Amino acid sequence: MRIRPTTLAALAALALGACGGSTPTGGGLGSGDLLVGVLAPFTGADAGLGPAYYAACLAAAPSINSNGGVGGRQVKCQKFDTRGEPADAVPADSQMVAGNSNLMAVVGCTSDEAATVAPIVDKAHIPMFCMTGQTEFNKTKLKYFHRLVPADIYDAYAMVGWALYGPSPAPFHKAALVFGNDIGSQAFVEPATNAFTKLGGQVKNFPITLGAASYRTEVASVIAYQPDVIFTEALGSAGTFLGELKTQNGGKMIPFIGTSATIDPTWFQQVSQAVGVSTLVSNYGGVDLGYDFSGPAYSEFITNLNAAASQFSDAPKYKQRGSTLHLYDGIIMTALAMVATNSKDPTVYNPKIKEIANGTSGATDVHTYKEGIDALKAGKSIRFVGAGGQNNFDQYNRRNLKNSIG
Amino acid sequence: MAIYEAAFGFGLVSMSVIALAAVGFTMQFGITNMINLAYGEVMITSAYVAYYLDRAGISIWLGMIAGGLFGAVFSFALNRIVYAPFQRKGTSNLGMVIVSLAISLMLANALLPIVTYNSVSYSEHTGSIVRLGGLVVTINQMIIIGLAIVLMIGIHALLRYTRLGKAMRATAANPTLARNCGIPTQRVIDMVWLITGGLCGVAGVVAALNSDSFAIASGAGFLITALAAAVLGGAGQPYGAMIGAVIIGLITELSAATWSAEYKEVVAFGILVLVMVLRPQGLLARRGALAAAG
Repeated sequence: MRIRPTTLAALAALALGACGGSTPTGGGLGSGDLLVGVLAPFTGADAGLGPAYYAACLAAAPSINSNGGVGGRQVKCQKFDTRGEPADAVPADSQMVAGNSNLMAVVGCTSDEAATVAPIVDKAHIPMFCMTGQTEFNKTKLKYFHRLVPADIYDAYAMVGWALYGPSPAPFHKAALVFGNDIGSQAFVEPATNAFTKLGGQVKNFPITLGAASYRTEVASVIAYQPDVIFTEALGSAGTFLGELKTQNGGKMIPFIGTSATIDPTWFQQVSQAVGVSTLVSNYGGVDLGYDFSGPAYSEFITNLNAAASQFSDAPKYKQRGSTLHLYDGIIMTALAMVATNSKDPTVYNPKIKEIANGTSGATDVHTYKEGIDALKAGKSIRFVGAGGQNNFDQYNRRNLKNSIG
Repeated sequence: MAIYEAAFGFGLVSMSVIALAAVGFTMQFGITNMINLAYGEVMITSAYVAYYLDRAGISIWLGMIAGGLFGAVFSFALNRIVYAPFQRKGTSNLGMVIVSLAISLMLANALLPIVTYNSVSYSEHTGSIVRLGGLVVTINQMIIIGLAIVLMIGIHALLRYTRLGKAMRATAANPTLARNCGIPTQRVIDMVWLITGGLCGVAGVVAALNSDSFAIASGAGFLITALAAAVLGGAGQPYGAMIGAVIIGLITELSAATWSAEYKEVVAFGILVLVMVLRPQGLLARRGALAAAG
């Protein structure tokens, strides 16, 4: 199986809203630093997720700060470690909300903890950009919740689509599901099983306990099942599992397709060390949104991301990480919404985020914070098309998406 | 049937790794009366010592020796600098557990900026594969099993047939009486920390080698398994820890082959709870190697 970027399916498209531009109405932007809370796992099995989001904030902050800040206020980033566990996430979330009156936005909140932290952030009226595809957020009533990733079922469908319909050497008709036993990973199992079975495939679930020292017996069971392909998301344990799979299978790897979360430098490093780079390249496929990785927004993103290495040496590794791009855009949209409404009050600027993302009739497309500020100063309404592309939020603040595989 | 044979082979590997870790842990407790919850972090730190040597082109087996030496020296220093002063001040056992937990957290967080959260692998993490009927093991895993057997025999010989071993047993049974009988208990305790620290370091490298990739977070998992084997066998009893390792190592793998792998730890720890209910002192509490002679 070769990596070959190909658009799989256009999942949805939304007509642009027709509401008109607005003039600043807020009560001022205040003074002092503003804070973006990066609420995500930085330790534990999913510790690879948080740094990707932190990198997004470190790249977005200078974009805002070097262009006058938010009405002169500088944006800072702070990590709040959820450890990927709801029980640890709640105190981290509460501490973040209670201890920081200057919180302008929250980014992160993965499927591991979103269900527990999102209501707390929403109750505090803080806009949040969560990296969860959980079904329970498909029609959420949380007004301050924004989702920039596809629902997990779409990732699952994309994996099934790839396995059955290509690219080469599909079709695969017998799949093993190897997902971690965490909330985020298990969300893929049911839709993938249902879709693959409905389309005539044969599938079996092999859940694994994340963080175990070895998976030899699990691997032996998978090999005995003789699958054509493996669907997987087992962050933190993928290297161990796939390394043992290759060893027990006599050095021959079974092709494996990962969720969008596997398209991550940490995951690549871990798996390539365990199975070898050539094995990884020739057997791995991942599903993700389509990105151009070009244009003025991306250029500024990459410049700022590289500069962020002075604070976080791994930051430049996330130059093609979808979640990093999206959260970068989310933070900039929030800052623009604050300026556009001239308000530090989230109840005022939160609705403006959606307006800036979707654009209004006659809105000017802007790609960077500076372009946005200049357009607002000129009295124009704006639509932000950022490093991750255009953001069209629907009535549930879900970004409408187009999936790709590669 | 083949899956059970394979699982049995994997169980042999797991129990070897667990035994190396659990025996060191339980000896620390049995002789020094210290439940050292930083044990898992010392294991993973030793694993990283071997990893950096591995990256420098040094053989993993030499790295294992280096990891063992690091574990020995670090554990010795940890006791002398942190634990012993607290014990001299009369800190309660519960207080000492909290101190060791604090050390564990401090060690993990001090390491994090150096090793990062990323998983890493040794360059020699597999070795060629050997099939013996349904058993599937790598050369490295066979070496791990052999190493565990040699070290367990060595621990048995140390405790049974050497003056130091007898002094350890005497110190474990009654340190005050041992001191009054002329046994230099402080020196014995120093030796215990060196020896068990060495075992801890070797166990860390072996556990990391056995797992195709490892990360700083792996230390907690190492501790839990070692702790379970030690408690199952009878806290403070090296032979009990060996038996506990056999039970936990085999049951986790065989239950994964029988039921869903999701339940393998549930089954293993369920048996641990059952044993604790039926025999709270553990399997070998009154007949262990550290029991008073005679």
